Amino acid sequence: MSTAGFNSQNGTGSGQVYANGPSQNPPALQQLPGVGYGMTHQQTYNPMQAKVPAPPGPGLYPFGAHQPVAPVSSYQTGQTLSSYTAPPSQSLLTRPPLGTPPSHTPPQSASPSPGPRLPPAQGTPPPPPVSSNSYYPNPQQQQQQQQQQQQQQQQQPQPQQPPPPPMAQPWQYNTAPPPVGPPTSMTAPPRGPVANHVNPASSLTVPPPPSSAAYVSAPPGQQLRSAAQPSVPGMPPSSLHPYAQPGSAPPPVNPMAPHSYQTGIAPYVGAPPAMKPTPPPTGLPVARATPPPPKADAQCGAALNSVQSPTEPDSQEGDIECPGAVAGNGPPASNSYNHVDNTMAVPPQPGPPGRHLGHYPSLPPGYQNTSAPPNATSTAHPAIQSATQPYTHAAQRYQQPPAGPGPAQLSPSLAAMSLQSSTPEALRVVNLLQERNLLPTGPISAPTPCLPQDLQKINCSPEVFRCTLTSIPQNQSLLSKAKMPLGLLLHPFKDLSQLPVVTSSTIVRCRSCRTYINPFVSFLDQRRWKCNLCYRVNDVPEEFMYNPVSRSYGEPHKRPEVQNATIEFIAPSEYMLRPPQPAVYLFVLDVSHNALETGYLNVFCQSLLDNINALPGDSRTKVGFITFDSTIHFYNLQEGLSQPQMLIVSDIEDIFLPTPDSLLVNLNECKELVQDLLKSLPTLFEKTMETQSALGPALQAAFKLLSPTGGRMSVFQTQLPNLGVGALQSREDPNQRASAKDIQHLSPATDFYKKLALDCSGQQVAVDLFLLSARYCDLASLGCISRYSAGSVYYYPSYHHQHNPAQVERFQKDLKRYLTRKIGFEAVMRIRCTKGLSIHTFHGNFFVRSTDLLSLPNVNPDAGFAVQMSIEENLDDMQVVSFQAALLYTSSKGERRIRVHTLCLPVVNSMSDIFAGADVQAIAGLLACMAVDRSVSASLSDARDAMTNAAIDSLMSYRQSVLTIQQPGLLAPACLRLFPLYILALLKQRAFRTGTSTRLDDRVFAMCQLKYQPLVYSMLMIHPALYRVDDLTDEGALNINERTIPQPRVLQLSVEKLSREAAFLMDAGTVMYLWIGRNCNPNFLTQVLGVPSYAAVPDNLYLLPELDTAESQRTRAFIGWLKDQRPFFPSLHVIRDESQLKASFMQNMIEDRTESALSYYEFLLHLQQQISK
Amino acid sequence: MILLTTIARVADGLPLAASIQEDEQSGRDLQPYHSQAKQLLRKLTAQSPDRCTLEAEDMNFHYLMAQGVCYLCLCENSFPKKLAFAYLEDLHNEFYDQYRRKVSSATRPYSFIEFDTYIQKAKKTYIDSRTRRNLGSIHSELQDVQRIMVANIEDVLQRGESLSALDTKASNLSSLSKKYRSDAKYLNTRSTYAKVAAVAVFFITLIIYLRFWWL
Repeated sequence: MSTAGFNSQNGTGSGQVYANGPSQNPPALQQLPGVGYGMTHQQTYNPMQAKVPAPPGPGLYPFGAHQPVAPVSSYQTGQTLSSYTAPPSQSLLTRPPLGTPPSHTPPQSASPSPGPRLPPAQGTPPPPPVSSNSYYPNPQQQQQQQQQQQQQQQQQPQPQQPPPPPMAQPWQYNTAPPPVGPPTSMTAPPRGPVANHVNPASSLTVPPPPSSAAYVSAPPGQQLRSAAQPSVPGMPPSSLHPYAQPGSAPPPVNPMAPHSYQTGIAPYVGAPPAMKPTPPPTGLPVARATPPPPKADAQCGAALNSVQSPTEPDSQEGDIECPGAVAGNGPPASNSYNHVDNTMAVPPQPGPPGRHLGHYPSLPPGYQNTSAPPNATSTAHPAIQSATQPYTHAAQRYQQPPAGPGPAQLSPSLAAMSLQSSTPEALRVVNLLQERNLLPTGPISAPTPCLPQDLQKINCSPEVFRCTLTSIPQNQSLLSKAKMPLGLLLHPFKDLSQLPVVTSSTIVRCRSCRTYINPFVSFLDQRRWKCNLCYRVNDVPEEFMYNPVSRSYGEPHKRPEVQNATIEFIAPSEYMLRPPQPAVYLFVLDVSHNALETGYLNVFCQSLLDNINALPGDSRTKVGFITFDSTIHFYNLQEGLSQPQMLIVSDIEDIFLPTPDSLLVNLNECKELVQDLLKSLPTLFEKTMETQSALGPALQAAFKLLSPTGGRMSVFQTQLPNLGVGALQSREDPNQRASAKDIQHLSPATDFYKKLALDCSGQQVAVDLFLLSARYCDLASLGCISRYSAGSVYYYPSYHHQHNPAQVERFQKDLKRYLTRKIGFEAVMRIRCTKGLSIHTFHGNFFVRSTDLLSLPNVNPDAGFAVQMSIEENLDDMQVVSFQAALLYTSSKGERRIRVHTLCLPVVNSMSDIFAGADVQAIAGLLACMAVDRSVSASLSDARDAMTNAAIDSLMSYRQSVLTIQQPGLLAPACLRLFPLYILALLKQRAFRTGTSTRLDDRVFAMCQLKYQPLVYSMLMIHPALYRVDDLTDEGALNINERTIPQPRVLQLSVEKLSREAAFLMDAGTVMYLWIGRNCNPNFLTQVLGVPSYAAVPDNLYLLPELDTAESQRTRAFIGWLKDQRPFFPSLHVIRDESQLKASFMQNMIEDRTESALSYYEFLLHLQQQISK
Repeated sequence: MILLTTIARVADGLPLAASIQEDEQSGRDLQPYHSQAKQLLRKLTAQSPDRCTLEAEDMNFHYLMAQGVCYLCLCENSFPKKLAFAYLEDLHNEFYDQYRRKVSSATRPYSFIEFDTYIQKAKKTYIDSRTRRNLGSIHSELQDVQRIMVANIEDVLQRGESLSALDTKASNLSSLSKKYRSDAKYLNTRSTYAKVAAVAVFFITLIIYLRFWWL
């Protein structure tokens, strides 16, 4: 088996190569003079390149360390031979570390290599005759519906007719391409990640997809249409879109009963029984009901058959092994986890993970009905019949409006049928065109991967590690068919409240792939463990036998490493190439006239003075300051001087350091001098008339100063650099902001900043950029300095100490967080995944040093990363795959530490399971990253099209491969129901919107944030949350630290949700708007805002007064709670109808139509049209 | 010029403190020296000489062992040996003062990295030729510096390896001699057979001769 291949690879002296583990040596990097850096960013990303075994100088890197990426030929070498007994060990590999593993190895269970849970192939049940005509599922019952549908379809074309040809054209064009067109030629996610979004080179070679052209031409049509209607933007005329009436409840007569009844919306209470006849009558349910499943299933088709066969012995195995558990558990479930589960989770719980239910090979139908209540309550759509059992437990996660009458009320036979075909909640079909209230009322949590409970319990938290598909497709073709992006989103250095830290002299790692031991490895016996990434069998070292937690010997599986998916190791000296560096902070400050005008220097100096003792570090911490305008000023802070000494270097062409040491000084020893300097700095340049800015030379000087040690460089810049190297010119034409068809200048104007950043990265220097400017600063170019050196970018547009107090407060708070937050130095991160998967593209701020190694000179708790993956080999014989991110860093206290996160996900082989496991937020986040890359490498419109197509493709693929009955409408599985909304939100996001005047820097900054922020925060940027806050109550409130925090509902982003009698809070991540309606409840005005009337609300109120009323306390508690949840400080604006900021408030109303963008409903119609073509 | 300073525990070679070398200023790649230093610290045992200078190309390693702690520095070979040992002595005094209790309980590498601050300062004092004159003590106290053993770093690092080379040579030799012995035996027996055969032939011919000619 392939494991043997690894054996053979091990033989080739891998120990040497990996000796250094993740602590890639910086010197090794330096030894490649220009070559390493010469490889451009994109090249490094290039998946093709990744497969090349030897890029320049690979010998220096532990290049092949990661199996899936590295030259894979060795896998094939030992196909047939296996040096150890393969089958039993294979059965073990997904097993949790158990006390007596061998007893759990049923010989049969693993041999035929099934997927973990075999969704009985609902993907392709024989289409029942009724469903052959997709639009008329059931003549009798859906006649009414069909009429409605026709009406609707007629309504769509109608508006097109009045306007002249130009408008008919796009629509016609839209319908012209054959239905196959979009998926094949399109920039579809499945190929997308590889060919499309990611790799600029290949994306260039792809001819412009026809349908994208179609879409481009579509908007004029839409616009015309909207122009033809005398409607207020945001309030679609009711004649056109009846559903969008302000009432927002589903229309009284819902034409598409079959879909909507499941949601339990009131009008359809009566529907389910009536609809029962629609399911495909015979094949599947009957087959399943009959006791000996394999035989019966044979009738259902080959696919089902092959999948089914292994399950039978398996379930029997479970019976034999633990009869007691079975009795308690009801019918044993069908997959190979089960017996493990049963033994582990002995208490007879009424609701085991849904997987155990729903598939009862040995029980008569009637019995099933009574014995499995959990399933009976889950909403089921008989028509779908899709795969099933695994997801029932997920049902509780999607808190939809109360489920309608469960099928339990039905006659036993019917109920039995629906039981078997029960659809998991995640897969419940939702007709997006009809169901309006899809937005959950609270925060959306990540879907739980469908793993056995004991694995799930220890799995990595979704806040840290998230995958777009929580069920990994078995092979690439399945993934391509599903047309969804596969990738991971990470927040590796997140501040954690609980983190087990392990100190041991040897860190146990796989000898061939260098994976850290983790909860998902399997112990073959006390002495050997099997790697869950490469399947090599390793020895358990003697030390590992002792468990320091329980102080017992001989229980390696109880060690904290094997009990926690997130863990930190104190690294031994093998992980250090040099002694741990001290914390070094260098501040580079713009002191030109313009900078002094903004007044930021005062705020900065004051903040630093306040927090100087809170800077992370130890007694070695060093600080330094450089200021610059047209010259560079250094500050000698040597111990013993009576006051700081300023040294001016005016030769900016050939920068040098005026004195070798004492520019960076020990903070503890020279604290007074530093404080003196900070106090005098703002006044020092008060009268300066120097307007030029030599940022480039200042950065070079700072780099020289930091390069011996490494450290953090914080750069404050207030204008376009215009002197010396790295000078930039203004590239933005303000008049073109709104009208330009395509946005230019998203890529850097010069590579100076990138090159310097790469130099910095090599010397372990990270550059953080604070941009405070009212004018264009070319963030696209300047941002490179932070991007490749793993820094962060902060942007304060129109910063002014008097005119813009909200920004000042934000700057202050951000600085405080920035100065005091945790920091890791000289870090590297490596992401490994189970062999067969490979990572090909990374998103975030870093430099990719080798195929899977990210160089992070600094790492901070607010940095997020994303990676895209592809499936290189079939994962047929695996039930789960694992991903491991290991971050090696030096803490500010001089400790070398390794933080390891391991995520385990199931492998599935049916389309419906893939869809059921989709994590819509993660998908949106990843698509946003891909779209940013796309807009820089190709064009913004390309990126927009790609996003739209991503939605179209996945919904189309869902329709084609999962839905068995073709119904009208825009159908989506419940787990993807927000997908079109998020895509639309992205299209209207500052980064990608067109047609609205957006400053280039704002746009570029939004792009930076989308790539760099952890998913939780970027989701707020994409889809802000809207709350009604004038009627906050304590009902359902949270209680944190004895403070009561009300929890209002999240509202849809539509003007129809606003009312003049109320006040609304919109939380858009970095900014919050408190919108006050004209006739707002006077109580709210007086009790919360402290003003007598609406007219008296001040124009620039950015702070709620601290009033001693219950309302005020509630409101402030709620807003404060929201603010506390994020690491940056959102500024609050209280706005009225007349306020200037109302426009930006309204721009966030994503579901409404704007002059240049579709409304949500129109967007859905557009999607539907593309899909049903 | 003192380029590198490391303090380690002798028992297991665990580094306790170090001073980051400044690559840029010396303009030299110190990485190979760094790894040599690591190896050296691992090889040193309590039985090794207390003070020793090891020559490595154009650099010298000086080390001093006291109370189970080894102080190692790398200097250019032009740097006075006396001064180097005075420097190490100085480090020892200070380090012993501050950390003597904690040395044995340290588990993670570079536990006392904060000592770096002192190392840097001391280094500065000893490097600076102007302040050097003030260190009158050097002249008097370290007269015995001449007796400090000098060896080559390669020899020290490869001592183990040459022994093992000797071992293999010896075992080769013994196996060869065994082979020689068996070969010799074989030859001996062969020659004996030949002699016996010759004698037998002679006697047979004699008998035949007697039989036919005499009788």
